Amino acid sequence: MKEKKPSTVRHKQEVAGWLFLLLGTVLIIIFQFWPMISAFLTSFKTGSAANMKFADPIVFNYSRMMKDKLFVTSLKNTFLYLIVQVPIMLLVALLLAHLLNNKDLKFRGVFRTCVFLPCSISLVSYSLIFKSLFATQGLINSILMKLHLISDNINWLGTTSTARMVIIIALIWRWTGYNMVFYLAGMQNIEYSLYEAARIDGADGWKTFWHITVPLLKPVIIMTVILSINGTLQLFDESVNLTGGGPAGTTQTMSHYIYNNAFGTGVANFGYASAMSFVVFIMVAILAVINLKVGDTRD
Amino acid sequence: MKRKMLSMILAVSVGAMALCGCGSGGDAAKTDAPAEDAGDDAAADAGDDAAADAGDSGEDSGAAVADVSSEGEHELSVYAWDANFNIPALKAAEKAFQAKDPDFKLNIVEQSGSQDVEQAVTLAASSGDYGALPDIVLFQDHYIQKFVADYPDAWQDLEGADINWDDFGEEKLSYSTIGGKHYGAPVDNGTAIFAYRTDILEQCGYTIDDVTGITWDRWLEIAREVKDKTGMALLSMDHSGDDLPYMLMQAEGQSQWKDNTTPDLVGNETFKKVLEVIVQGAKDGTIILANSWSEYTDQTIMGDQVAGVMNGNWIIPTIEQVSDNSGKWALTTIPTLDGSNQGYASNGGSSLYITGNCDKPDLAKDFLAYTFGGGEGSKDTYDAALKDGGVITCCLSAGTSDVYKEGVDFFDGQAIYSDIVEMGGSVPVVQQSDFHYNLRTLVGNAITNTVNGANLDDEIKAAQEQIEFEIAGSQN
Repeated sequence: MKEKKPSTVRHKQEVAGWLFLLLGTVLIIIFQFWPMISAFLTSFKTGSAANMKFADPIVFNYSRMMKDKLFVTSLKNTFLYLIVQVPIMLLVALLLAHLLNNKDLKFRGVFRTCVFLPCSISLVSYSLIFKSLFATQGLINSILMKLHLISDNINWLGTTSTARMVIIIALIWRWTGYNMVFYLAGMQNIEYSLYEAARIDGADGWKTFWHITVPLLKPVIIMTVILSINGTLQLFDESVNLTGGGPAGTTQTMSHYIYNNAFGTGVANFGYASAMSFVVFIMVAILAVINLKVGDTRD
Repeated sequence: MKRKMLSMILAVSVGAMALCGCGSGGDAAKTDAPAEDAGDDAAADAGDDAAADAGDSGEDSGAAVADVSSEGEHELSVYAWDANFNIPALKAAEKAFQAKDPDFKLNIVEQSGSQDVEQAVTLAASSGDYGALPDIVLFQDHYIQKFVADYPDAWQDLEGADINWDDFGEEKLSYSTIGGKHYGAPVDNGTAIFAYRTDILEQCGYTIDDVTGITWDRWLEIAREVKDKTGMALLSMDHSGDDLPYMLMQAEGQSQWKDNTTPDLVGNETFKKVLEVIVQGAKDGTIILANSWSEYTDQTIMGDQVAGVMNGNWIIPTIEQVSDNSGKWALTTIPTLDGSNQGYASNGGSSLYITGNCDKPDLAKDFLAYTFGGGEGSKDTYDAALKDGGVITCCLSAGTSDVYKEGVDFFDGQAIYSDIVEMGGSVPVVQQSDFHYNLRTLVGNAITNTVNGANLDDEIKAAQEQIEFEIAGSQN
């Protein structure tokens, strides 16, 4: 009997602990996991929203995806943004962080704030601002005309190559500061004596950057790469608000196309939209795994 | 290794969470959406107004969700949008119906755009709970066929309501008549108009009569001359939601559809010629294909880049924004391919529908019949709707009132409202489809690609294949 006493107290504590956890667990199951499972089931269904039924064959939504020219175009667009924009953005962020980490730099608080400021702007607002800047009668064209660099207004958003370029510029403007903050935080953890030692050994700024800063920041770089890949694959606001996916769907992202299938055109093809969402999900997961494998040299 | 697995799982779950976050991003964008849709009445306002509306909606919709009910026996609730257009019309109807039922109250729940109403219907249907809907909803006509087919329980038809259906244009009713039953009470008239700047035409030696009832080939000639002499284009359109192909086809009395789900693009000579006209105009610079709705309204129309505007008549308030051009505009019909007839078409326009959630269908039917349906209160309703909101009726008898016969100074004294109501009676009924907006996007893409040098036949074929693919996808 005596032996049982401590275990009862322990038992009670365990029950109390589980009870505390229970509320959060139930909430996360109801609001996070159940919708995901439900969306997964929906991805095998077809028909209108009110009476959906399982497709025949069951993988119908998945198998038709690669035959869907618009989806393939949106896939290519998204990967184009990924391949072009993410490396440029991360490199610029890293260089900026390196510059702003210099202890001798005056007003670096001001500079840091300036670089980070774009991140505080809503995605919709900044997309609309870029849209008006690059409109056919917009500010950019007026400036170029005044400087006599162009003789006719350029239709930035109506031409495939320039429209894609505008989106990439907008993304770099919006997200570089965001990534820079991670790098700056990472750099705080690098001993300053390392740099001093390197300088004594005769390493210049470029060498200390490549041989000290970058290797020591590796975990942070991997995290920003994952976050950027993840964010770019789900790119939505810019495609919708800046270009509307045009011209002729050549700037449309996957998320925008998914949205159009679910809500955009009144067709409400939720099954197909869910299926596409899961394909995006799997892509993000695969890319994240590759990233970790390539980046992680521990073990 | 264990740690690695853990970090992988964490990374994936971060991805999953962000993916769920995607939905809320959609909502944020949605509030801005009405300004983008060409067929959208909300967008008929100046860009500024539309932006202001969208800004307001944050507060409005928060209150709206909680208050779609209509407690009292003499109360109805309705979803509508556009404080400068549809809402005044509904207020006018409320006031008119109070003459019959003094206790009557209409609870107007303002939405930021037609799309919000349409999405509310879709969401209510997919959750299986129509209780979230108000008694009556207002939305664009192109949606109702699909909505009734997909969510039959969400609607109550208007059979038994005291509405004289012969008093409305046949074309308008063709949208909302399903299986022989009337579902919608028509509100505004989507009749397309072609407005020209008479002063610009005059500079080139033409009058409004010279551009009435002509062929598109002749129109393109005149447009080139106008472009050479004045630098102005003769037409513009929001190419992100390009309604030109639809309107031009309707003016020919034809459709891009054989039936609801059979597209008629490849081998359709009229369709090809219509696209050739648009492509030619775009290449000549006489038709401006704007990248977005705001570019279309703010820059091409209000920025004085065009000497001609063709769209549903709800575009008139946009034209009227430029007060300097008062008295210089005139309205006429649309050119056609062979020029033997005048072209009549329709674009946009919306109707009121009673939802399955309405437990006072008799009151709702009475209200709609008495006001918008051509009953005793219709004259008061439509006169006030026209004065306060610029909503033009498609009720033929209401269109003969004195208010409608008044000349409009902006159009040099032309009695444009009665002209439009009369034109509305001549719009041919054409085959509609649930996939109207999908095809609109694809045909717009085909035009863009052709202007950029692609072969038109190939593009038409590609559009046909893609729309067939999309139809097959949602019908399996």
